[in-house]
Amino acid sequence: MDYDLGPDAEALRTRLRALIAEHIPEDFLGACTDDPEDLALTERFCKTLAADNLLALAWPEEFGGGGGDVWQQTVVREEMWAHHEPRGPQYMGINWVGPAIMRHGSAAQKAKHLPPIADGEVIWCQGFSEPEAGSDLASMRTQATADGDGWVINGQKVWTSYALMAQWCVLAACTDPAASASRRITLFLLPMDRAGVTARPIPSMLGPHHLNELFLDNVRVGPDDVLGEVGGGWRVIKDALAYERVGIARYARCDSLLARLRESLGDEWNQLPGGLRTRWVRAMIDVRVARLLAYTAVAQQESGQPDDATASLARIATTRTDQSVAELLMEAVGPEGLEGDRRAVLHGAIDDHWRYAQAATVASGTIEVQRMLVARSALGGR
Amino acid sequence: MLTQLPTDVVAFGASARDRFTALGGVELALRAESDPAARVTAGDALAELGAWDIDVRSDADEFLAAAELCRAAGAVVLPYPLVEQLLSVDGNRLALVDARHPWIDHGDLEGGWLASDLDGSARMAVTAPRRAAKLGPFVTRAELAAETVTVALEDVDRHLVLGSWRLLGGVSAALVLATEHIKVRKQFGQALAEFQAVRFAVADAVVAHRGLEELAKYTTWRLATATLAARHADAIALRLHADDVATQVLRCCHQLLGAIGFCDEHGVSVLDRHMQALLRLPHSAEALADRLVLAVSAGELESLFVSA
Repeated sequence: MDYDLGPDAEALRTRLRALIAEHIPEDFLGACTDDPEDLALTERFCKTLAADNLLALAWPEEFGGGGGDVWQQTVVREEMWAHHEPRGPQYMGINWVGPAIMRHGSAAQKAKHLPPIADGEVIWCQGFSEPEAGSDLASMRTQATADGDGWVINGQKVWTSYALMAQWCVLAACTDPAASASRRITLFLLPMDRAGVTARPIPSMLGPHHLNELFLDNVRVGPDDVLGEVGGGWRVIKDALAYERVGIARYARCDSLLARLRESLGDEWNQLPGGLRTRWVRAMIDVRVARLLAYTAVAQQESGQPDDATASLARIATTRTDQSVAELLMEAVGPEGLEGDRRAVLHGAIDDHWRYAQAATVASGTIEVQRMLVARSALGGR
Repeated sequence: MLTQLPTDVVAFGASARDRFTALGGVELALRAESDPAARVTAGDALAELGAWDIDVRSDADEFLAAAELCRAAGAVVLPYPLVEQLLSVDGNRLALVDARHPWIDHGDLEGGWLASDLDGSARMAVTAPRRAAKLGPFVTRAELAAETVTVALEDVDRHLVLGSWRLLGGVSAALVLATEHIKVRKQFGQALAEFQAVRFAVADAVVAHRGLEELAKYTTWRLATATLAARHADAIALRLHADDVATQVLRCCHQLLGAIGFCDEHGVSVLDRHMQALLRLPHSAEALADRLVLAVSAGELESLFVSA
């Protein structure tokens, strides 16, 4: 038994922290702000990482990656999320869009899409959820109707993060309403500037760019745009969701914020109510447990046999911890937590974390779906 | 990164589970409440398994074997002071106590007792006869001698960690019993396991249990790798978490089992009653949390962003 990530991983962590300290301002809170400079900053930083082969570190070298192992990639995920994801929306392309194209894409798609993702030159969004289909993806209504050797897509997507920033979308549409739920959906790699695609922002408590609507009005797609098999979208999505469940190292930001606020409070920490301090130590344990459960899911990925229940376990632990830490931090700073701008304590990071954490148990598969997967496994598959 | 236990350790744990099952499982613990010979039987079984040949202070693999043995013993609440004897000092079993309220589980068994607080300040203990109680049926009051000796803090940490493995075993066993029950028990025409509220409760308990298992393995590894201050904080953190998880999962199991879970003919009743001693000795969860507050204040509870 050995929980050491190895000297390479620790050296990588040190290197990433140095890069972040050099290129990312202390008050950076991610790309999803009203200041376009924040997005521009992430684009520059992605190119910096790519130049050092750090952006797609765990990808095979043949696809423009660094050939690193999953543990090095874990360190990247932890350090990036802890520092408010200075890769911006591009983390999604690295974490699951790219790997999905590697596993299910054609040779032409690999050649076309993987190098720009690895080079930090492209933002992807994910067109899955619909007004009438959230967790129940099989009931989606966006229709791809056969037309010549391609399809014409009509429908609406919703909650589409980064839609106004993205150049490409992994779009799920129904190609055969009469087929079984697992054979009904096809995935398309769709350029966002194709005729008939319109994105509109949805103002929300999460902040700008997190939630958008996507309208698809007679959008033409061809066979070359299909990812995987026609009707095989569900299989690709299942793979993608398994990657995304461990993709965001929420526990790392919790860890970082607890440490930063503890340091910022100094001796005042000892004056916090006793009940709050015992919650604090339990929160630190919960963060550690969430990290260890994430590592079990990563270890399964490494073995080539990712398992739904293990990924769900990790996700339940990390999302719940995200929310409990958000409450704890807000209580620790009192009314100052309501002052969300960059003059606030930790430059508004506590307000930002609290708002984003509210969606933790909803985004990327609700906690209820995760609990069903865990229960099914615990009850012997029934 | 290797998060799996070594295969020989897993095999040793399986042998121990088989041996304890052959003794009747939790039935042995129940019998021990009224039959003193049952605890002798438990001790003999541990000797046959080679428990007293394990040197928990020598290296990490030996300690892992002890941890796995404690998990197996915890799964049947084996009526014997296993951790205390594994960590004996000069032939005296080592108990962890709150010096203000010294109580020792199985303190009535023959042999000397050295009672240490969590700081390693220890005194010989004289124990009273055990009383017949439902909760912690083998707990005895103790009186501590005046002379103080020092126990290595490493032993205090090993004690806390091995006790946590016992709790992990008890939690695992309770969860298995509860999930088996809901698969066959029908209400309103269907198995309890088909109700979503029940499935969600199971999922939450499974997440808590798996989290405790991973933390127990990690903390065991840390005993051999972290600094003294950091591993002491880690050991307290593990025990606190084990207490919290055991309380949560046992409550869940009782709810899933309904009235049958309170009956001594059912394993969960015995598990719950007998685990109470370990859950409250030497300190309850809140007292452990208070101690951990001091460790956090001193920067001793390490994380990705805190180094001791």
